[in-house]
Amino acid sequence: MVDLSDRQIGAEIVAACRSGDRDAFRALYDFYKGRVYSIALYFFHGDEGAASDVTQQVFLKLMTNISQFRGDAEFSTWLYRLVVNACTDAARRRKSDAAPADRSILETFAGPGSQEEDYARAQMANSVRQAVSALPPKFRIAVLLRYFEDLSYEEMAGALHCSMGTVASRLSRGHRILAERLRALRGKKR
Amino acid sequence: MFTRHVSRQLAAYIDGALSPQEAARVERHTARCAECRAEREQVKFGMEALDCLAVVEPPDAVWTSIERGAYAPAKRVHTSVNAARMSACATAAILALIGVAYWTIAHRAPAGEWIETDSKSSTIILVGQIGSVEIEPNTRLRVVTDRPDEHRLALARGEIRARISAPPKLFFVDTASGTAVDLGCEYTLKTDEDGAGLLRVTKGWVSFQWKGLESLVPAGASCRTRPQVGPGIPYFDDAPERLQQALESGALDTILAEARVRDTLTLWHLLSRVEIADRARVYDRIASLTPVPAGVSREQALKLDPETLGRWKEELAWTW
Repeated sequence: MVDLSDRQIGAEIVAACRSGDRDAFRALYDFYKGRVYSIALYFFHGDEGAASDVTQQVFLKLMTNISQFRGDAEFSTWLYRLVVNACTDAARRRKSDAAPADRSILETFAGPGSQEEDYARAQMANSVRQAVSALPPKFRIAVLLRYFEDLSYEEMAGALHCSMGTVASRLSRGHRILAERLRALRGKKR
Repeated sequence: MFTRHVSRQLAAYIDGALSPQEAARVERHTARCAECRAEREQVKFGMEALDCLAVVEPPDAVWTSIERGAYAPAKRVHTSVNAARMSACATAAILALIGVAYWTIAHRAPAGEWIETDSKSSTIILVGQIGSVEIEPNTRLRVVTDRPDEHRLALARGEIRARISAPPKLFFVDTASGTAVDLGCEYTLKTDEDGAGLLRVTKGWVSFQWKGLESLVPAGASCRTRPQVGPGIPYFDDAPERLQQALESGALDTILAEARVRDTLTLWHLLSRVEIADRARVYDRIASLTPVPAGVSREQALKLDPETLGRWKEELAWTW
């Protein structure tokens, strides 16, 4: 989802933040907020409170420690390491990772513009949200990280605290489970 | 006939993240293996399905909270903590420490400076720009290093609470029984002068190291430290009481019997610390609690192959 020009803009903003520019902090937030919030939102089965907490925590840490960053590559790895840590810490505190029994919760957190989608597309989106929500956490976070941020496998390995081989394995397995789950959901609806 | 299946590499293949040699191997294999070919299509379908997930913007209130947190004066923390604990007889001592409380390691305290609190005083020091350390009563510590790439304290005795937000391995606390290495976290560490103490992690991870021995302690877990022994086996604070007691006495049978899935944290660490004769029992108990992931063989695990143990830990950590 992120092309090269986006990355370059991100690097410029990070550089301004490192020099203490408060407007740049706001720009940094605007630049990444949707992706960070979305990862947390889909990770926590559509729980807006949990996603807001994670987003707040991540950006607070970024803003108070931005001077530690040395370059764009390190920044993206650090940013998403913070996201992964915040999500897994919050998940530990919640004790239960069960997806909500009430599926309507998952069906209501469609993104802006979803009401304009045609019925079939909205149905598909709901199925995908349910399937993502049902993934085991380690696959769910890897799949979301790849989709929303398009990091390299090396960057994902840094963010997920694991080897590139493990990233590849989790993504393969996660997407396969997702596909199986989607086929099962579609089967049920027929 | 077939070479090794390529299930694990299919996502990387589709994403173009494999080397040309690896990609060619996947292509050769999938051309002949119907199973892997079907899996490749499944992975691809899973990836494409995600395209209907929308980016969702956070509510405006999130930025307001961030701004309030980021630009609030840091002094507030010192004032409230110190005021709550201040008593008349300790006022003089606290006043002397206030200078230290507002000091940042990078700017106001030279490496080598000692900080000491008495039975009625406590203070907070800022660690460069990466966090703070609350120093409890009856504590003595020294600033060892204050460089941007390494902040190191030596805790001679007492208790500290560290809140650090930085890339891993920038903040270290030495004690007589080892070094706490910050991996992005919040924790309390207390020790006596000989090094007997307790590390309790409340956020993130801490690695406690001593002479090549390492204990990895996640949020919600603790680890005892002992003189000339280093870090003990970490355990979750909500672990069964009998398990915690058995860790003290070394009763392996009880530890194995009481362990829950989450206590594989304890068992994984035990694997490399028990006698060779007991290693297989620990391995089997972990395997009975949670499936052994692909790439982890019993033989390699019992040999304590670092790559195998690392891989297993990565998988187990999702239950910790």
